[in-house]
Amino acid sequence: MIAGLRFIGLRVLRGLLTIWFAVTVTFFLLRLLPGDPVLAVADPTMTEALRQKLLADFGLDQPLSVQYVGYLGQLLQGNMGVSFRQSLPVTEVLMQRLPWTLILTGAAILVTVVLGVPLGVYAATRAKGFADRAIQIGGITAQSLFVPSVGILLLYVFGVVFGWFPIGGAVDPDATGFAATLSMLHHLVLPCLSLVFIQLGSYVLAMRSSLIEVLGEDYVALAKAKGVSPRAVVWKHALRNALLPTTTLVGLQLGTLVGGAVLTETIYAYPGIGRAVYESVGQLDFPVLQGAFVLLAVAVVVANLITDIVYGLLDPRVRTS
Amino acid sequence: MRRSLSAALAAGALAALTLSACVPSTPEAGGGGDAERLTIATTTDVVNFNPLVGNSRTDSWVTNLMYPHLTQIDAEGQRIPYLATEWGYNEDGTEATVTIRDDMTWTDGEPVTADDVVFTINAVAEEQFGVVAGLITALESAEAVSDTEVRFNLSRPDGTFLDSVGFWMPIVPEHVFSQAESVQEFANDSDWVSAGPYVLTEADRGQRYVMERVENFPLAPEGTPAVDEVVFQIYPDVNTEVLALRNGEVDVIGNVLPPSTAVSLQDAEGIELAQVPSLGWAHLQYNMEREPLDDVRVRRALAHSVDYEAIREVALQGFAESTGGSTLTPTLTEWYDDSIQEYPYDPAEARRLLEEAGVTDLSLDMIYDQADANISRWAPLVRDSAAEAGITINLQGLERNTYISHADERDFDIYAGSWAVMDNPPANFALAFGTDGFINYANVSDPELDALIQEANEALTVEEALEPTQEAARIIHDQVYDNVLYVETFNIAYSSDWTGFQPVPSELLGIVHPLSLSQVRPAG
Amino acid sequence: MNPSPAAEVATAADELTSSSRTWRAFRRNPLGMGSAVLLLALILVALAAPLIAEYPRGYGHEILSPPSAAHWFGTDDVGQDVFAQVVWGTRISMTIGLAAALLAIVIGLLVGVLAAYFRALDTLLGIVIDLFLSLPVLPLMILIAALAGPSVTTLVVVIAIFSWPEVARLVRSAAMAIVPLPYVSAAKVIGGSPWWIMRRHVLPGVAPVVAISVVLTTSRAVLSEAGLSFLGLGDPNTWSWGTILHRAQQSGSLATAWWSTLFPSLAILLLVVATTLVSVAYNDARNPRTR
Repeated sequence: MIAGLRFIGLRVLRGLLTIWFAVTVTFFLLRLLPGDPVLAVADPTMTEALRQKLLADFGLDQPLSVQYVGYLGQLLQGNMGVSFRQSLPVTEVLMQRLPWTLILTGAAILVTVVLGVPLGVYAATRAKGFADRAIQIGGITAQSLFVPSVGILLLYVFGVVFGWFPIGGAVDPDATGFAATLSMLHHLVLPCLSLVFIQLGSYVLAMRSSLIEVLGEDYVALAKAKGVSPRAVVWKHALRNALLPTTTLVGLQLGTLVGGAVLTETIYAYPGIGRAVYESVGQLDFPVLQGAFVLLAVAVVVANLITDIVYGLLDPRVRTS
Repeated sequence: MRRSLSAALAAGALAALTLSACVPSTPEAGGGGDAERLTIATTTDVVNFNPLVGNSRTDSWVTNLMYPHLTQIDAEGQRIPYLATEWGYNEDGTEATVTIRDDMTWTDGEPVTADDVVFTINAVAEEQFGVVAGLITALESAEAVSDTEVRFNLSRPDGTFLDSVGFWMPIVPEHVFSQAESVQEFANDSDWVSAGPYVLTEADRGQRYVMERVENFPLAPEGTPAVDEVVFQIYPDVNTEVLALRNGEVDVIGNVLPPSTAVSLQDAEGIELAQVPSLGWAHLQYNMEREPLDDVRVRRALAHSVDYEAIREVALQGFAESTGGSTLTPTLTEWYDDSIQEYPYDPAEARRLLEEAGVTDLSLDMIYDQADANISRWAPLVRDSAAEAGITINLQGLERNTYISHADERDFDIYAGSWAVMDNPPANFALAFGTDGFINYANVSDPELDALIQEANEALTVEEALEPTQEAARIIHDQVYDNVLYVETFNIAYSSDWTGFQPVPSELLGIVHPLSLSQVRPAG
Repeated sequence: MNPSPAAEVATAADELTSSSRTWRAFRRNPLGMGSAVLLLALILVALAAPLIAEYPRGYGHEILSPPSAAHWFGTDDVGQDVFAQVVWGTRISMTIGLAAALLAIVIGLLVGVLAAYFRALDTLLGIVIDLFLSLPVLPLMILIAALAGPSVTTLVVVIAIFSWPEVARLVRSAAMAIVPLPYVSAAKVIGGSPWWIMRRHVLPGVAPVVAISVVLTTSRAVLSEAGLSFLGLGDPNTWSWGTILHRAQQSGSLATAWWSTLFPSLAILLLVVATTLVSVAYNDARNPRTR
């Protein structure tokens, strides 16, 4: 029990370190690279006095170190500052976006795991067979697809030719109650499908190779020798252990996925964080950018934490080691 | 187009199958040409709801429907009444007066009065922000003579004042905006109050902006707009906007279509294209602070090394008109001067001029905004045709903000770009070609030109201003202070379920302006 | 885009002796061989681009015409030949991919080997690697590319900065397996300099991992380049596959002129699939259990 708490404590500590690192990297990237935030705040037509006042309001007239410490202090109080462009608190701007990113990536991971694990198992139990090859190649091809190309193809075929799915957006805002949920799912299908495509391969391959590995272990051979049916061997004995690498993969891929949703969110006009990042880059809206990176980092850390705990539950050895 | 679940299953894609299993069909949103809702596709969010600050295209479209301007323009680019019914100057041009309507009210019941106009212009003058600030430098004071009369006292005769203020300045409600400490910093992001045809009621950032009809809008033919709701819906780019128009999700694509898309939609069923000319022009500017671009022979050589026809016919697909190289464009018919002739594309002549100027191995950097689809098309054409004349041009397609800062700091050899709206030649010339003008990117400093521009600005009527303005344009062309390539003809797509749009020049207004949207109605 | 765990290291112990066996096993795998041939063909196209097609420049008079005998892949919205664009795009895309991969590998190799060799550094470097791995990569790439200005150099550096940690992780775990081996310890005991030992023993041991990394990182870099170029952050003076797609997107012809998007997309797909299959086949060939 104590060991378990210590394990979780360490993980939390590490998560905080990660968040601090992401904040620091983006803070200095934004300020040290060319691309003057002053341009975004101040209009060249402004009077000098007003310009100075605005710069002071945003703290841009202070030395970098002061700005940095100030920003960290603000963050600790849950304050992400005010958007340069929208005169709105960053928290408000981003909180409108965050739920959509979470829904999209959450759905994508869920569907990927639900499809990936059985496909991986199927491939592993027929290793070297035709089905195995087909699944492998299919998975590899899917994960090599270029998201925008697939996006346009899916939109054209399912949005225009068949007219089954909407072209953009996340929900029909006029719908209420259950209809709103349905509308949300309806809008989710194509973007989610794109994300599933590019991830599925990794899961299938991971599942396949770890299951092949596990099926070669002694205890599986023992179970077989005891006359347990092949199906039961796979599903009851081997699967639990073979799932471990898949769990790790979820954690590992989350960063890629949340960030990688930029392209998906962009092509499908999905109002998530990724698209907010892309738009804010164009507007040099530094506070929003910084806030978005903090949120992305937090999301990844939390997801990793959950993965670690799940991993710990699946594999008791981890907790004590 | 309702599709059953079973049809969805037939799609075959395994993953799609799993997902769509929980997704029955929903009725189609928007579209259809009923009088309930007109959906307009746009690619950007509203960045700032304050009409005096707003900078994205969507900002202008949305706020223009709520905050009236003193005047608007008709299809020929001439000023016609909006909030103002009459306007004019006194004898010596130091006083401008405007009479406004007495039958317009803000949606919270307050009347629109001369005080609102005075409040707005004073706020801009005091806090010095937005595009209007640069256009009212002659303003000394503004006063409400009565509820419907405003007088602007000017420090010098300025015949461009009313045109500029009328066109550019949205009038904001004093009783709302005065509550903020600073008008410029007022976010105006809720509880909107409108005196236009529609009022914003809902803003879902990243998704859509819903505007409801204002019952009392005296400029609408029936006194009230025909459509219940106007919705601006966000899409990532023009490709998806076209898909959305085709499947009926939207009724209008607010953004201008790229030329090749316009060609492909010309014969598309159920889609109409409205064509409006630009109020600006696309051009190349040569930085005269840099050698050897200070030599007019080199600039003429560059002007001879541009294949203008190819740019208009290929990059713009013919949706572009030549101005004869003049900065007075055919869009503004009352100013246009057809005697100016474009520099012919003639690499041999360009070589000869360079030789005469003693310039060899000319190599120049050309900056442009990489996000501008048209310029990214023709920039390589400029480079390739210049190569024929032995001139090397290095393309620097920059991210938009970087591009603007390069232009502001005059840090380039060649600037490729386009002015979106040049609505009043004398005022525009002062900014673009007057010594130290705010957008004088070419660093022009020519006393003769300055004198002509000043004369044109002081003239109180177009007739008086015409001669000095045309003379100024001749000098600009002759000295290649600006190399005008074309005036674009914009294509705006809408569903043929609708009729009654009023196209006016410029992509800023197009068919998405108050007068147009207060008249549009379902077809048939 | 995603590292396949199949690419993870098996054991590094018997690398040197088994290379010929690996090759024999690899040759028997038709998919791996086919992909290797395809990769070579793409490299050949990149090298011989000037012999295959004229550099796409200027304009043509057949605008957005579908594939035909004169234009195998059709033409774009200024009448340029899409085939020529794809051929020359192969060169730039692969150059950017390879350059970024090499840069990433130099950094990754250095960090990975150092971490494995000097235990004192391991914790620190391990944390740094993990931190980098948890950054939102694509958004950061977009940010840097936008602020630093679009150019081939920017793309290479940006992609490398965010690709090395993956390499470092692989190299580190491979090197971890080698450093404690008797012959390395022996070298330490007889006083070989760390630099010499690393070069003599550790580097050859991690070579297979590095080989795989080069291939996988290149393909990921190509995808990243396409993504950045597609978002308008590419180099406007060159032709990459992403640039072609970006231009198609800008011209609004993504959905109408399918040929302007299909062929560059296919090129990306082929390259990435081929590299992945080659690395999977190579891993299978090295692993006695799957050989």
